[in-house]
Amino acid sequence: QHGRVKIKSTAQQEEEKRKEREKKLKIYVAARDACFSKRREGVWDDEALQLTQQLLSSNPDFATLWNYRREILLHLETVREEDELQKIYEAELSFLESCLKMNPKSYGSWHHRGWVSARLPRPDWARELSLCDRCLSLDDRNFHCWDYRRMVVKMSGVPVDQELQFTDRLIGSNFSNYSSWHYRSTLLPLLHPESPEPPSPCQQLLKEYELVQNAFFTDPNDQSAWFYYRWLLGRAEREEMISCVYVSREEERVVVAFSRPVNVSAFTLIHIWNFVHFLTWTQICDLPPGTISDITNEHNLTVHWTEKHTHRDCALYTGRNESWCRDSATDQELFSELSVEKTSVLQSELQSCNQLQELEPLNKWCLLTIILLMRALDPLGYEKETLAHFQTLKEVDSMRSAYYSDLCSKFMIENTILKMEYAEVRVFSISDKKLTTLCHLDQLLLVTHINLSSNLLQRLPPQFAMLQCLEVLEADNNCIENLEGLYHLPKLEEVYLKNNKISKLADLQPLVSCPKLKHLDLRGNPITETTNIQSELAELLPSVTDLLKSLIH
Amino acid sequence: MAEEESQLEEFEQIDFLRDRHVRFFQRTLQVLPERYASLETTRLTVMFFAVSGLDVLDALDVIDRNNMIEWIYSLQVLPTEDQSNLSRCGFRGSSHIGIPYSVKGPGVLHPYDSGHVAMTYTGLTSLLILGDDLSRVNKQACLAGLKALQLEDGSFCAVPEGSENDIRFIYCAACICYMLDDWSGMDIQKAIEYIRGSMSYDNGFGQGAGLESHGGWTFCAIASLCLMGRLEEALSQRELDRIRRWCIMRQQSGFHGRPNKPVDTCYSFWVGATLELLDVFQYTNYEKNRNYILSTQDRLVGGFAKWPDSHPDPLHAYLGLCGLSLIGEPNLRKVHPALNITQRAFQHLQQLQQTWRDNAGTCT
Repeated sequence: QHGRVKIKSTAQQEEEKRKEREKKLKIYVAARDACFSKRREGVWDDEALQLTQQLLSSNPDFATLWNYRREILLHLETVREEDELQKIYEAELSFLESCLKMNPKSYGSWHHRGWVSARLPRPDWARELSLCDRCLSLDDRNFHCWDYRRMVVKMSGVPVDQELQFTDRLIGSNFSNYSSWHYRSTLLPLLHPESPEPPSPCQQLLKEYELVQNAFFTDPNDQSAWFYYRWLLGRAEREEMISCVYVSREEERVVVAFSRPVNVSAFTLIHIWNFVHFLTWTQICDLPPGTISDITNEHNLTVHWTEKHTHRDCALYTGRNESWCRDSATDQELFSELSVEKTSVLQSELQSCNQLQELEPLNKWCLLTIILLMRALDPLGYEKETLAHFQTLKEVDSMRSAYYSDLCSKFMIENTILKMEYAEVRVFSISDKKLTTLCHLDQLLLVTHINLSSNLLQRLPPQFAMLQCLEVLEADNNCIENLEGLYHLPKLEEVYLKNNKISKLADLQPLVSCPKLKHLDLRGNPITETTNIQSELAELLPSVTDLLKSLIH
Repeated sequence: MAEEESQLEEFEQIDFLRDRHVRFFQRTLQVLPERYASLETTRLTVMFFAVSGLDVLDALDVIDRNNMIEWIYSLQVLPTEDQSNLSRCGFRGSSHIGIPYSVKGPGVLHPYDSGHVAMTYTGLTSLLILGDDLSRVNKQACLAGLKALQLEDGSFCAVPEGSENDIRFIYCAACICYMLDDWSGMDIQKAIEYIRGSMSYDNGFGQGAGLESHGGWTFCAIASLCLMGRLEEALSQRELDRIRRWCIMRQQSGFHGRPNKPVDTCYSFWVGATLELLDVFQYTNYEKNRNYILSTQDRLVGGFAKWPDSHPDPLHAYLGLCGLSLIGEPNLRKVHPALNITQRAFQHLQQLQQTWRDNAGTCT
């Protein structure tokens, strides 16, 4: 008709395909079975090598076959002369090269090569290094190859400074070689094994600063150098300790705050915190009644944290109702992420980064690093510049602006804590600062008054219940819909939540556990629209006397 | 290769082709092209991608569940009469060794047959997804087989004969213990030490100590710690913050796995789920993420590829869906970010575990 080409029917095609598959399957199964029966019979001959080679060429990840090959080679070691073995293993390396050419990311192939290299009578490490170089030149991020190279370096005893020079060359030719920076970070500690990671200030470190500065000045958009820089500037983890002990004669209790969440079973738990992992920053311990109630007596308390071999003393003096012992965040440089460097070093680093910032005002890595350096040098002094930089950051990298808002909130809270300490007061005030999140609540154990109004908060998280001394909470003009953290606050008397998003009675449930609550302002919340809300609230919170007044207005 | 800030702000609204993806997974479960031959030894994982993918699409009704359940059980390496092979038990990847088909014990002794930790993991999850109650799983044997794979340094090998060892297999082991509700299969403390040791200077996690940070291994680290219930014990607040930062910086449009590498669909899950477990996924840009994943959608055969205009494959098809599910794409089931199965399958697991505990309680 129209010169239609004869097309085989679908069924016919299917049948042909099926036959082809079966043929292939037969060949494969035959080869595999032959391999296995040989192995079972303990046959370790050339044919076995051939068969495994055939199968591995198409599937280098058939681990059993590499194992069999290793058995064959081990057997040959017992029956052949050294020269012959050298040839056999070199042939093996050739075979592996062809496997790797086909699939440079096969675990089985690299693993086997490592094994062969270790057993070769006369290894040629230079050759192995050059293989790595070739492989890396094709794909400088092939971590299998980097891993293999590390092994070669170790086996052949290449000195660390030679490897450092290797990374120098790589970085010099292409600063964006993230893997090289990474490798460098593993080499540096080897040069100074006695100092904790990252390496402590010294000539080497200053040279590193120079090297990495060259990198980010040349290509400010390459994150590898910035991450490396951040690591160089970084700081060792603080020791775990008891950061605050608070004693209240009236409540007859001791509150202990730790420097990190802990799993402590030694104390009597009064509440179980809502953490997934049952860890908590603070523990509350009720003392047996009458232990410290005599105000004419001085009482000395010691809190032992036996697991960490540390303790804290606190004296409750005559005539005093409460007492505490707390590490100052300022003295501890609690919020600085950087190592205790000489200020002059940090100043000069800041200067360099500022220079770069003038040339590249839109570079986010530079801005982040400047913020980091400023916070280490003088968080309060640089507060205005920090806020301005965050604004720029949010414009320049708008995809992550929510994350930056969160980060900025954290820094503002840190600054407020520092200001509070400086003023030696127990009032924490941070309003109209676009706060999106709360953190460092473990530092606010002693706070009596807190003002969070006119921010962007959505909830008062469970950790809020650590504010055991809190008497007044001002949180007007936020977006709060969740009051999870407002429970078991023994001194809380006044709560201001005007213009938030509290919508149902259940949201207020946590307040039932605050025995001293007298004043609650809920104006401007959706909950006020609910019918019968006045009577329901009266029933839920009978001791709150200032409630009705606020609703009527 | 310096990172490029994308100039294109607006992508066209791309539609999600559900039916194509369903068919893609159906085909995956029937026959795969020759170039997949090298995956034969890991065939069970490919099944997992397809089955879980269909679950995310709420389309499990298109497959014959019972048939599949039987096939999975045929892959169980069961103890022999004399129980001499306990340390080799678990699930194998496929029938490639040539063990005769059988869904019940006792096991057949074969010198090169053993479980593989990733197959045990995907075998158990696939059974759960298909609605099985795991009653035919020899739990003690699986756990014995698992225990035999852990090394002194805390990491796991994949098979008892030996293989490479790293953090991926710790993740598989943690999932197995979590699902079987029995942590006797591993030394948790040692595993935690290995995980900590894998953290790099930039607070990403590598495959092992001294190795480069990578989105996939970071997922394995964090998900394992969450499953063990030790996240905040093993890592300080500062470390957690830095890990969050490293992960959040992986978003370019979609996500990449390492700095200065191109974005790849599967990292929308690996990094996305990690961010979700660390409670900061909400700070990522959903629109750009979604647009990238959908740009790798194959409009003809279905599925997703790692990059646009590339061939789709089961792994990227599945993880692309999971990435979309994390963002809250409508009509996709929610995915449990640590265990990597739907919340529906997870609830089924929870019910099963409750039954086991009740039964254990009532046993005399």
